[in-house]
Amino acid sequence: MASEEVARDVLQRTFVKGGRYWQAVAVLAVVFLLGVVGFILKLGDERAQWGYFAATFSYLFTVAQTAPVVSVALRLAKNHWRRPLARASELFAVVGLFNLLFFIPLLILLPSIEGRNTIWILGVWPSRFYTPHIFDTLALVGLVVLGLLFLWTAAVPDFAAAREQRGGRGRYAFLALGWQGTARQWRIQRALLGLLGGLYFMDVLTTHFLISSDFSMALVPGWVDSIYPTFHALTGLQAAVAVTIVTMFLLRTVGGYREYLPMESFWGLSKILLAMSLMWFYFWWSAFITFWYGRLPVEQNIIQLIMFGPYRPFFIIGFLFCCIFAVGLLIWNPLRKSPAAMAAIAAMILVGGFFDRMRLYVASWSLADTTEHELTKVPAAIWPQVPDLLVIAGGLAGAVLVYMLATRVVPVMSIWEMKELRLYQVPRQLVRRRMLSLGKPE
Amino acid sequence: MQDRRTLTDIQVNETLTNTVLKTPLLWYVILAFMGGIVMLGVVAVGLLVNMGQGLNGYNRPVMWAFFLTNMVFWIGISHAGVMLSAILRLAQAEFRRPATRAAEVLTVFALATAGLMPIVHLGRLWRAYWIFPYDFSRGIWPDVRSQAVWDPHAISTYLIGSSLFIFVALIPDLAVLRDRTTGIVHSIYTMLAMGWRGTVRQWRLQAIAGIILSALLLPVFVSVHSIVSWDFSMLVGVPSWHTTIFAPYFVIGAVHSGVAGVITVLVLMRWLFGWHDYIRREHIDSLARLLFVVALAWFFFFMLEFMFGLYHQEGTEMVVRELWLFHAPWNAIFVIFILTAFVIPVPLWLFRSVRRSFPLMFFTTILVNVGMWLERFLLIIPGLERKHPFTFSWGEYAPSIFEITIITATFALVATMILLFARAFPLIPLGDAKEARVLRDEIRIGRRTVQAVLREE
Repeated sequence: MASEEVARDVLQRTFVKGGRYWQAVAVLAVVFLLGVVGFILKLGDERAQWGYFAATFSYLFTVAQTAPVVSVALRLAKNHWRRPLARASELFAVVGLFNLLFFIPLLILLPSIEGRNTIWILGVWPSRFYTPHIFDTLALVGLVVLGLLFLWTAAVPDFAAAREQRGGRGRYAFLALGWQGTARQWRIQRALLGLLGGLYFMDVLTTHFLISSDFSMALVPGWVDSIYPTFHALTGLQAAVAVTIVTMFLLRTVGGYREYLPMESFWGLSKILLAMSLMWFYFWWSAFITFWYGRLPVEQNIIQLIMFGPYRPFFIIGFLFCCIFAVGLLIWNPLRKSPAAMAAIAAMILVGGFFDRMRLYVASWSLADTTEHELTKVPAAIWPQVPDLLVIAGGLAGAVLVYMLATRVVPVMSIWEMKELRLYQVPRQLVRRRMLSLGKPE
Repeated sequence: MQDRRTLTDIQVNETLTNTVLKTPLLWYVILAFMGGIVMLGVVAVGLLVNMGQGLNGYNRPVMWAFFLTNMVFWIGISHAGVMLSAILRLAQAEFRRPATRAAEVLTVFALATAGLMPIVHLGRLWRAYWIFPYDFSRGIWPDVRSQAVWDPHAISTYLIGSSLFIFVALIPDLAVLRDRTTGIVHSIYTMLAMGWRGTVRQWRLQAIAGIILSALLLPVFVSVHSIVSWDFSMLVGVPSWHTTIFAPYFVIGAVHSGVAGVITVLVLMRWLFGWHDYIRREHIDSLARLLFVVALAWFFFFMLEFMFGLYHQEGTEMVVRELWLFHAPWNAIFVIFILTAFVIPVPLWLFRSVRRSFPLMFFTTILVNVGMWLERFLLIIPGLERKHPFTFSWGEYAPSIFEITIITATFALVATMILLFARAFPLIPLGDAKEARVLRDEIRIGRRTVQAVLREE
């Protein structure tokens, strides 16, 4: 497909959505409203009953707000196969806005740090006891802002293309920020993408660290697990890759972008997903073996709480789906080269990831007294009630709804990067083999 | 901008085998110097054996000191080989080509040196084999539940695997040497080359073996340093050691120091053997970018390790952090460690001119390894000094001249072994250098010419 055709085709698909799209939007909106009902029903519950709500927030943060990192990291690595998937992952930044709604109730429910473990040992101005509330909010809001700025910067040339097709007026005239495609503008855009991408990456790691520490580990007396924030971030990256694969597959099969999403993109991501799944085991094992071998009573209790005790079913599902089954399937090259198989494996990892978040967050939030010195007794499991299930379904549906609505405005395929790909990729003949010559921009 | 020069196959063969066939005079001078230092180390070990461990600076409760610090350091350096060779091979990164052999060789010799350290530390080093499950007359089996038993098995597995990895990659180069030598040397290369003729099938088998070994060695490489970290983190009694992050923290630290070590070796090789056409600025630049990312990840892990020592506000943990920050000489060592391992080199690598400068990259990578050695020292000794809760049982450690000599000798030993290896085998794979030339391409985009690489469709 020629460069001009790419622009025309992608913009056409952005502006005009079919009946199935609107049906899906309607269903998601209804489920989201049911979630709102569930939330209203939960008002007045004890803090310990909000674990599933916290898990849903954490899951959306893990999946959606980490997803743009896929684009950031692969852009830094200058891969060509990442071009078709770049926008699909960047677009998840809009879900961050939705997730802020989930964050507000949790901020209210999070106890002050008085008399309990916290990473905020000294406390910071302006409020000694509410330091996590302030800084976690700043980190999360910062992440949302950076994500949206990154998305906007990456999409400006496409907005300009849309502006031209729309006769130079309307919302795209504003979004394109006067883009004319001069050499200077391209230079600035490239520099901004590097800067914002780097900042986003660092903020993702920071926010994972803060959320996992303040909203999970610090609520469990005596849980000192220095690898936990990194495990949290790693599972986030794994889920981010998985959700990008599922999105690509849906775009390819339902969205009509088959020509743009070649097998190489799935194959490239599949290797990263395999590495992430192996690291899932390694990071989990590092924590587990240290606690298990140490035989300290508090660490044995913590293992019981988050792995083998009341939430054992959640742990087993998460462990199998995110690690054992994932690795067992991803080592096979034919599966890694099949978009359908990759989508199925990625979907399995996303399901496993949700169970993993539940075993961590529901367990953490289930403890009534956070000011004990050490965990001496593992409380019984808290199973989800109807409002919890509604909130989970509504939260997930709301996130998908926001993403789908965003595809109405932002082209889900990066037009300028697809055009660039056509310049940098040239077929060549080497003796008797057909090869691709891949240009390496400085 | 890439500073490439097209070379013919004959030129590649001649220049890369000149370490074997036309060894420069400087090689002999450096070998003599390094060999002298190694001999000093051997004498020091001999004295330790003869007169006992009292010659060391051990002071209760600090009975693990320089030797085990050095073991962790060299195991760290050894991680560069597989990291660069296996991962970059699997990722098809072009800049790996001149670095793989040097990295693999550094792995094997660093690992062998690391393996020597606990043996020297034993005192009665002739009993080192007791660690292996061999049912001899004493009737005592090693306790497999002890992490001290896991260590030698992990190290020896890695050593065997890495040696095999080097050998498989060496076979085509051995055939080139076989065809260019005579007499007994020719016979040795003939035996080692295993009938290599460079047929399509042989190349395919060699490539498959390389990929399989890469994939098999990756978990081994991770496990080795993880197990080394568990020597410490499984011990609940020593403050600052029992922490869950130690395994990945040790691994990423190892990669940090290992990649830095490979860059140091590459710069030295370029200078010593004049391989300006093979080890070019773009290679060092790419390795420096990789090192930059690794350094950031390592620093993130370091911050977590440091911070979670304070998190629970346990007195025993706090006292080690106090040592690090407020008590001489630990605070001075801590400052030097942070400056050399991160604060000075990493911002410098942001500048392209630094990344593409051989002297500056040599300087910064040496700094990194100074810092990483001190990091291991800080991780091990202060915790031991405050092992017991009561002040009357606290002890201070200062290394003796024997320990310092032996540690210095280990650096000379690794250098000596690499020099000897270079005398017998090419340090840059000939096949890789030729393949890079075949796969090199250019693309015209408007008025610009962009460097490109050929890949299978």
